[in-house]
Amino acid sequence: MAMRPDGPDDVRGLGVQPDGDPQAAARSGGSGSSLVTSADRDVAQPIVVPNTLWTSVQPDAYGGVDASPFTHLRNLEGSDLVLSDTARWGQLEVIPTKADLIIDLIRMNSLWPLLSGLACCAIEMMSAATSKNDMDRWGMFPFRASPRQADVLIVAGTLTTKMAGPLVRLWEQMPEPKWCVAMGDCTCSGGRYKRSYSTIEGIDRVMPVDVYVPGCPPRPEGLIYGMMKLGQLVKERRGHWPERPIGPSVPEDV
Amino acid sequence: MTASTTPHQHPSADDPRILLDDQIGQFETVPPYPPRTEREAEFYSLGDGEMFLNMGPQHPSTHGVLRVVLKINGESVVDLDPVLGYLHRGVEKLCENSDFHHIISQVDPLEYVSSLFCEWSPVMAFEKLLDVQVPRRAEYIRVLTGELNRIASHALFQGWMALDLGGLTPILYSFIERDEIVDMLAAVTGQKLLFNYFRIGGVNGDLNHEFMSRLGDWMSRATAQHEANTQLLNENEIFVRRMRGIGVLDRDTAFRMAVTGPNLRASGVPYDVRRAHPYSVYPELEFDIPTRGHGRGGDSLDRYLLRVDEVKQSLRIIDQCLHNMPDGPIMAKLPRLLRPRPGRAWAAIEGPRGLYGTYAISDGTDQPFRMKIHDPSFVHLQLVGQLMKGNLIADTMAVMASLDPVMGGVDK
Amino acid sequence: MDRALRKRLETRFGEQLTGPVRQRHDQTEIRIRPADVPEVMRALHDDPELAFEILVDLAGVDTGTHMQVVYHLWSATTPDWLRVIADGMPRDDPRAPSLTGLWPGAEWMERETYDMFGIIFEGNRDLRRIYMPPDYTSFPLRKDFYLADDSARSPGGGVRHMEQTQAPSQATPSVVRRTVKA
Repeated sequence: MAMRPDGPDDVRGLGVQPDGDPQAAARSGGSGSSLVTSADRDVAQPIVVPNTLWTSVQPDAYGGVDASPFTHLRNLEGSDLVLSDTARWGQLEVIPTKADLIIDLIRMNSLWPLLSGLACCAIEMMSAATSKNDMDRWGMFPFRASPRQADVLIVAGTLTTKMAGPLVRLWEQMPEPKWCVAMGDCTCSGGRYKRSYSTIEGIDRVMPVDVYVPGCPPRPEGLIYGMMKLGQLVKERRGHWPERPIGPSVPEDV
Repeated sequence: MTASTTPHQHPSADDPRILLDDQIGQFETVPPYPPRTEREAEFYSLGDGEMFLNMGPQHPSTHGVLRVVLKINGESVVDLDPVLGYLHRGVEKLCENSDFHHIISQVDPLEYVSSLFCEWSPVMAFEKLLDVQVPRRAEYIRVLTGELNRIASHALFQGWMALDLGGLTPILYSFIERDEIVDMLAAVTGQKLLFNYFRIGGVNGDLNHEFMSRLGDWMSRATAQHEANTQLLNENEIFVRRMRGIGVLDRDTAFRMAVTGPNLRASGVPYDVRRAHPYSVYPELEFDIPTRGHGRGGDSLDRYLLRVDEVKQSLRIIDQCLHNMPDGPIMAKLPRLLRPRPGRAWAAIEGPRGLYGTYAISDGTDQPFRMKIHDPSFVHLQLVGQLMKGNLIADTMAVMASLDPVMGGVDK
Repeated sequence: MDRALRKRLETRFGEQLTGPVRQRHDQTEIRIRPADVPEVMRALHDDPELAFEILVDLAGVDTGTHMQVVYHLWSATTPDWLRVIADGMPRDDPRAPSLTGLWPGAEWMERETYDMFGIIFEGNRDLRRIYMPPDYTSFPLRKDFYLADDSARSPGGGVRHMEQTQAPSQATPSVVRRTVKA
């Protein structure tokens, strides 16, 4: 691949301009420019991509800086800084072929959950994974212990304020594509602990959720139904993660 | 921080295009603030060759969200500090703002694998406050369903014990057994996990035909099935050698650490609340109190085998309940709005993990003034630090699993 | 109800009890001052006639006017539970002596009481928060800590919810009351 000519004036529209592109500088907080001082525009260089996908509801979360101004390579798809890859979310540059369908089917039928059982719903999740209601029939047997190897985060159990940090850290450590299932009433909306001083009223306040499985606890068959629905989402690439803003979708004055 | 207003961001080791915030936050094992207590200062100062290892709130052990900070020297654990609170839901405060009936459903998810015991203790305390006499049939039903729940909880303990040590098969057998029992209980209570069955003055619904037929069917094979499940593990050399001699708890330490339940009985002390301070209809029932580890103290294998013995005793009790079940009402006559006289009551029962107690204070209104729940798993987790001196990292799981904590109860 | 236990306690601790020995159902209750706690507990533990070996529970109570610490003990010599109430701590600076010298298992129970009420146990080597995050500033189970009541902002505010501590007579007439015609 030919090397591009050096020089800041040749940087394509999506990089950080050292002279302060307002969009990029505001997002990356200024220190991002130190990464793109090198004149090389190889793909291997760190590419600074401003975050336009989601912002936190609280303006001073994450210490006032935007959560992750980087890593969303989706914005680069339109440019020629990267090779276009049909296995990405969102806009595709080519017509989906049978290979994409097969890749989607593969993803759908081997969703590996992350062991993230917090409370009572974890027992029902384990019951859904064991002999009587077997989730292994749909490929979800290996409950990975490490988030780096997991596809689905099934949050089973009440999320407390102390646990919210580690759980969001787990979510952020999972590589894309990833989905989230909110299992149980406590994760959907706070459930029976909605009035408590130390619980989060629903995990959609901290992370985007694709499937809500209500119940206290939901029966294993209910969880399996939720996973079936998730499989449909995966197959049709209808996951909410790129489009939906974080935060409760119920307006404040209700 | 420094003069720059932005926090320092460092690239992730996995992918240099991902930048992480500086504060790793809750995973800071060494607190940035000066230590607040003596124990913290002692723990967080590293000796020569020591390091911290964080078994974070999410880990493959199935007890729930417990964070254990290990101070290790090579492979052996020098000290450990459990950090709780990742499941603290404020149940006691919510109970103060709930009616007496609502409390039964609030208090269910505390020890979620043995929900009926979590209900039994507050219900007994409220019955003492209200001076309610529970009908005999209701008491027998309580004992029957309670012992079924105890067997289900111990079956799950066996599976978890093996799962924590790395064996993935016994948990399947445990869940087969547990699913049968909870389906039985679902026939009479309507729920598989958080039963919400006991009421102040009795139980919610009478035994029905489906429950009795399932129970009869299960009882005919229960002993054989339990034998088969335990044989899978008892004769496994790796399992036994990983647990024998690990985490020895002797009698004096157990008393001083306020240990109760199977952990205390595995250290040679025959203390069982059902016999030491009888409640319900246990005085009329015949059962033994198995103990292990006389004289030398109990190790993890003793605690495991003791729970296996207890299942046999529970089967005996269920048998007697079925034969002696009296007829009669299942609920005492109580007004809809319960307003006990101002007073205090304490009730303790023998749960599968130990003594489960409730201290209830009533101020004359329809909501309790204070409800303190004493959970055995909470007290037993203090033991892990003491029992782990000198053992290896992998033994942490053996010790913790053998104490059988349930984080819902620990964190309330 | 063990009358003999009452006599034994009254003779042993006569002047240290700040109230009568009360008995109800299967519980015997004594009240002492917080400063007397280590002495009384040691006597209860060591005395062969009393021999309360097992500390079963340690609870904090906020009565609205003052704070209490309530201990429950069990002994093989009596069929009753013994409840010891260390009464009369001021609400703004509650301090109590720690029992970790006698029962090291009380350490976490005292930590929990500190976390929920703010009662400082002098002598506990590890008095830090156990349930709430370490930078939390309130003490949740105190009576002046109110649960956030979002129903006050809702259009249905004023209706008696189960969460609000109200006497039933204060409920607004819009509440539907079921009268059982029996």
